[in-house]
Amino acid sequence: MLARVPFAIVGLYLFVAVFGPLLITYDPVHTPLGDRLLSPGSMTSTGDTAWLGTDGLGRDILAQIVYGARTSVVIGAATVGLSCLVGVGLGAVAGYARGWLDAVLARVFDVLLAFPAILLAIVIAGAFERSVLVVVVALSATAWISFARVTRGVALSLRERAWVDAARVMGVRGRSILGRHVLPFTAGPVIALATLEFALVVLAEAGLSFLGIGLPSSAVSWGQTIANGKGYLESAWWISTLPGLTLSVLIINIGILGDQLTARYGRGRLDDRRTKTGDPL
Amino acid sequence: MTKFRVRGGMPLAMLSAAVATATVLAGCSTVTGGNDPKGAANRLTAAGTYAIESLDPHGAQGASTGTQFAGQAIFSRLVRPKPDGSLTGDLAKSWRANDDASEWTLTLREDATFSDGKPVTANDVVASFKRMMALDGPNAGNFPDYTMTATSGTEVVIKAPAPDAAIPGKLGLFYVIPADVKPDDTKFFDKPVGSGPFTVERYTPGEALVLVPNKKYWGKRAELGQVTIRNIPELSARLTALRTGEVDVVWGIPDDQLPALQGEKRLTVKTVPSTAVFTMWFNSSTRELADAKVRRALWQAVDFETIIKQLYPKTGTLADAPVAPVVLGHAAQSPVGHDPKAAQAALKAAGFDFSKKLRLQFANAEFRPFIQAVASDLAEIGVKVDALEKEQAVFTEDLLALKWDVNFQQLATPTFDAASNLGRLYTCAAKRNGYCDSKLDGLLAAAGSSTDEAERVKLYGRASEIIWRDAVGMFPMAVGIAYAWNGALEGFTPDPSGLPDFSTVKITGS
Repeated sequence: MLARVPFAIVGLYLFVAVFGPLLITYDPVHTPLGDRLLSPGSMTSTGDTAWLGTDGLGRDILAQIVYGARTSVVIGAATVGLSCLVGVGLGAVAGYARGWLDAVLARVFDVLLAFPAILLAIVIAGAFERSVLVVVVALSATAWISFARVTRGVALSLRERAWVDAARVMGVRGRSILGRHVLPFTAGPVIALATLEFALVVLAEAGLSFLGIGLPSSAVSWGQTIANGKGYLESAWWISTLPGLTLSVLIINIGILGDQLTARYGRGRLDDRRTKTGDPL
Repeated sequence: MTKFRVRGGMPLAMLSAAVATATVLAGCSTVTGGNDPKGAANRLTAAGTYAIESLDPHGAQGASTGTQFAGQAIFSRLVRPKPDGSLTGDLAKSWRANDDASEWTLTLREDATFSDGKPVTANDVVASFKRMMALDGPNAGNFPDYTMTATSGTEVVIKAPAPDAAIPGKLGLFYVIPADVKPDDTKFFDKPVGSGPFTVERYTPGEALVLVPNKKYWGKRAELGQVTIRNIPELSARLTALRTGEVDVVWGIPDDQLPALQGEKRLTVKTVPSTAVFTMWFNSSTRELADAKVRRALWQAVDFETIIKQLYPKTGTLADAPVAPVVLGHAAQSPVGHDPKAAQAALKAAGFDFSKKLRLQFANAEFRPFIQAVASDLAEIGVKVDALEKEQAVFTEDLLALKWDVNFQQLATPTFDAASNLGRLYTCAAKRNGYCDSKLDGLLAAAGSSTDEAERVKLYGRASEIIWRDAVGMFPMAVGIAYAWNGALEGFTPDPSGLPDFSTVKITGS
């Protein structure tokens, strides 16, 4: 039962990200200055209740958290999707082809892995005009490598399996073998990895926004809200603390969820199989 | 990332007590050991708003606040502004202009020496001027094609290509160093020799500058044994350091932090009006903003009074002219009221394109709330604004290239003279905001060349009227600087340019 908690919490976040903005209206441009720095539960000048307080420009914190969830989920899903596509593609080709292609690609992965991810993201995001697309590209720039490495490892092992040999003997073309007999079996570890990467991407996006890089000021992001409250930690703690807590809870739960998925589908399971069948990995 | 750990109540209280004791001891040592200003306890630590990246007052960093601050402590100038904006002689005893103010003669004092004991001569002054012009830093921009010559050992003459009554004010940005320092000599500034009240004990660029009194200073010797200027970029850390007594003076404090500091008995908090005005130029060279009616309507649409009351209740006042009240040439104009309905009607009548987004550029995160509030008010009448926060270097490049529709700057007038603000930025030739008016050009030229102060004030007043009426920009707020300092300091005067002078400060025990 306890194991379901991360599922439920991550599900709740996704629900809020998808449906929250339909229930709560929020315009980041509108700044009702008369309502600035209201504590949680206060009444605003329009008669509404600011359940989680307001920021230095009178904007509702609850609405910022809800809209920020949408931004985080969209960027997280887009980045993980893009990285997954690139990483799994290149990784599977490298692992299945072996030989010089594998040698070149694997070294490329290793070289790129040596770059500090967040610094590279800062450079890319800082060089272009702010937009969601730039953030997705900046974060994908290094995120795909883990997918490539995992997929390559799995593909290296899969290509030696009996059914792949059988397909090869029957004269099935390399591309079809890769598509039908290798790629589907990488899904488990890739999904487990995607979950963990999602958490890292959400965290990195918040980091970029905190530094004021990447997203345009009209976008709502937890990182921006946390940065806006930095100067008010003593007088109005809720501005930074509440979005910070929201972010932490999400990251922790995705982490646990990712671990559970890894235990079920990840490399560990594959290793077990390998030891049973004696296949080299 | 989300929480700062603040020291617990007890240790903080104990620390404060320890600091208070130390301060009392400092006072004792000043009283008993008054002849020994190098006494260990007679030390002051300040944390300003900006880092000191370079000590070269003629170089590329010369106009930055940090370098200016260091410059006035270490070097002397010919003329310097007092905190009230009036000019006083520093190295120059007296100065006079010829009839059309194109040539100024300055007589130097004879007793001035550098910290290495050598006298300051006209030769040093001229060599310094040439060095400043050769390096072509931002301060050299105030003297395009000006020349300086020494007519005797104690007299220099500065010649301008056109009449310029503002030369004495501009000389407040010109620092004198020994004649033998070459333009590319960076080693000299590791331990510079100057004729200011302090000399450098230790300097780490961007981090800390430790000053000790200049024993050879020709003026009144500084009372403090040591002054340390630290850079603490994070605001909360800076204010915590002030509370714990780690630093004695902090300035440039945001309004929202002031109430908490005012509650501290040990601290004196004061806000002084500065020479800076929030200046939001419209790019008159674009099709949308070429019409003065449109620009004025946009100004009318923003409720600056409320924004200032909410965001800058202590340090901001509604501006009444393009330059601050402390600046020579300030003339109050009639306020532009907030009337969104009239603004919207005027925009419609002028055929304003509401579908186009106005690019509002600014450079510093501290102004973000203000900019967002302005964008909010403009959005109320249907004007879309793209608030673009840019890196300083990108901002400056785009500013000069006119790649913006509205440009936000906190524009200071360090010379306390409208010539370096209105006279420099609003002419057709300046091409700084796309605005061009031959009548305004004539007024500014006349004001720049007159030596009669009353006449200049009158002419700048008329120029301000045109700038204000045609809404070359919005001039929402005159800026104040908030200072907070340890009550044990005596003789500390908050400076309107954010460049406090520590040579007159002493630490008392009270």
